[in-house]
Amino acid sequence: MTSAARDPRPHVLVVDDEAPLRELIVVTLGEAFRCEEAEDGETALARLGEAPPDLVFLDVMLPGCSGIDVLREMRADPALRDVAVVVVSAWQGPEDVEAALESGANRFLAKPFRVDELASVARDLVERQE
Amino acid sequence: MRSVSLARRVALVAAGIAALVGVIFATALIAMLSLRRADTRESHSKDVTVATLRVRAVAADLDSALRGYVLSGNRRFLALFNTSRAKVPRETNRLRTLVRNDRPQQLRADRAARELNGYLTDYALNVIVIAKIARSAAQGPAAGTEDKRRTDEIRGTLNDLLAVEDSRARAASSHARAITNVAVWVGVVALAVSTALVLLFGAWVAREVARPVRRLAAAAADVAAGDLGIRLEEGGAAEVGALVSAFNSMTRSLELGRRELLVQNERLREGERHKRDLISMVSHELRTPLASVLGFTALLLERDFPPDEQRRYLEIIDGQARRLATLAGDFLDVQLLDGGALMLVRTPFDLVELVREQVQLFFLQLTSHGLAIDVPESPLVVDGDRDRMSQVVGNLLSNAIKYSPEGGEVRVAVRQDGTDVVVAVSDDGVGIRTEDVEQIFEKFFRSAEAIKTVGGTGLGLAVAREIVASHGGSLEVESTPGVGSTFVVTVPLHAPSLTTDPGVGDFAWRGGQLS
Repeated sequence: MTSAARDPRPHVLVVDDEAPLRELIVVTLGEAFRCEEAEDGETALARLGEAPPDLVFLDVMLPGCSGIDVLREMRADPALRDVAVVVVSAWQGPEDVEAALESGANRFLAKPFRVDELASVARDLVERQE
Repeated sequence: MRSVSLARRVALVAAGIAALVGVIFATALIAMLSLRRADTRESHSKDVTVATLRVRAVAADLDSALRGYVLSGNRRFLALFNTSRAKVPRETNRLRTLVRNDRPQQLRADRAARELNGYLTDYALNVIVIAKIARSAAQGPAAGTEDKRRTDEIRGTLNDLLAVEDSRARAASSHARAITNVAVWVGVVALAVSTALVLLFGAWVAREVARPVRRLAAAAADVAAGDLGIRLEEGGAAEVGALVSAFNSMTRSLELGRRELLVQNERLREGERHKRDLISMVSHELRTPLASVLGFTALLLERDFPPDEQRRYLEIIDGQARRLATLAGDFLDVQLLDGGALMLVRTPFDLVELVREQVQLFFLQLTSHGLAIDVPESPLVVDGDRDRMSQVVGNLLSNAIKYSPEGGEVRVAVRQDGTDVVVAVSDDGVGIRTEDVEQIFEKFFRSAEAIKTVGGTGLGLAVAREIVASHGGSLEVESTPGVGSTFVVTVPLHAPSLTTDPGVGDFAWRGGQLS
């Protein structure tokens, strides 16, 4: 925690039940970000409770509680209300995008996404916060 | 009574009323006829009376003339006598003619005529002859007595006749009156009865026909408004009763039809939902590995990574691409299963070895789940398609890992059971809800929990069960929600005597104890 707290890089939490996907996002963001991973909603909420990150990549279809549930809980929590969230989902129906944005997502990325787009979205959101 | 038809009832009532009207007319006719007869009788009696009185008058004239002549000797009296005497045959004959059809009156008329003639011939003419000779002799008391006897006799006879005629007329008229009274009574009673009949029939029609028809009309309006659950109380007159039951069976079949339509509609909607879920599922199942493949490929193309990292990403791409290939294979399998064209390459193979292989494949690098394996040392040979059976065991192992929490234990057991080999794969996972147990082997079926939490096509178990079935075996599940599930594959052992494959002997020799 102490070393993490001293780390000046933006803090990103990647939530996805698919390990390859998590790894892809972490590798794409590269050394410029300090990445943390969670493979389900409960773990994600636990990590968020420990230290609010600067940015969350959130999958929708998670074992246990869904990504949308996690997002709603974040938006209801004053400490996490302003954390930028990018919902990443394989579901591309307009109602899924709508549900994500209505629940408070800052951006929506559909799988398969372009890695450069993902990277620029991450930079964008972090810069805006600063 | 219920079975008598409405038409028949109407006909019966109409016939009854017609009969009553007939009775009224008949009695009226009889009364009229008897009145007329009494009238005729009366006028006849009047004629008879007149004729009788004229005979009496003639007799009185004769007597007066005779007595006048005897007392006075005046010839004018004699002339009067002769005039009256000349009238006698005409008047008596007229009377006799009038009463000729009435035997007792005829006898009386004959008697009166006889007495009158007797008076003339036996007495009056003799008295005249005597008076012509000696008037005083004719005036004697004997003559007077004889005269009175004879005239009284005639008058008596004629009075009898008059009295009888009078009573006859009275009897006829009183008979006519009686008949008229009867006719009036019969008419009044028949009228009352037919009125009552009409009223009763009207009331019956209102109760048994009009009311059910009105209820029917109201019910028909309800049906038109969409209430098909309406049922009428059965009953009423025959045709109305038939109408009511026809209406009831109509609404019953309408309701049934509507329910069927609703069910069909629901099934269609469910099918539509199913299709939507399926498309979403396929989309998700394709996009997730595709995202990794495209993402890592793009990274490898754009950035420079150390060789070991390059290799790692290529392995990920390989794994995810294989996942896509498996997915494509699953869809193809389903296609083949649907067409019944699943081709099996049959050779005898050791199922124990196959299970060991698959377990190694899944658990060698897996740290999230524990493993307990219980397999015999000796081989258990079955006859079938080795690749397909690998697919089945692999599917069960991957499900056990996928549907149980991290840290859970997966137990794999293989044993011989009579002439069968049993492979059991158990987990401490989420389990399967009782209502879903039958459906998990349906292709594309995914439980509500699975859809929300775990990826998958819903094809694995359907394909697995089909493969096991085509090996002459069965794939069953026992599950307790929240505790775990056990999938059990049962396939028949290879029977060496049934095959000439030399490889089998080799297997049996290697196993050493296959018999």
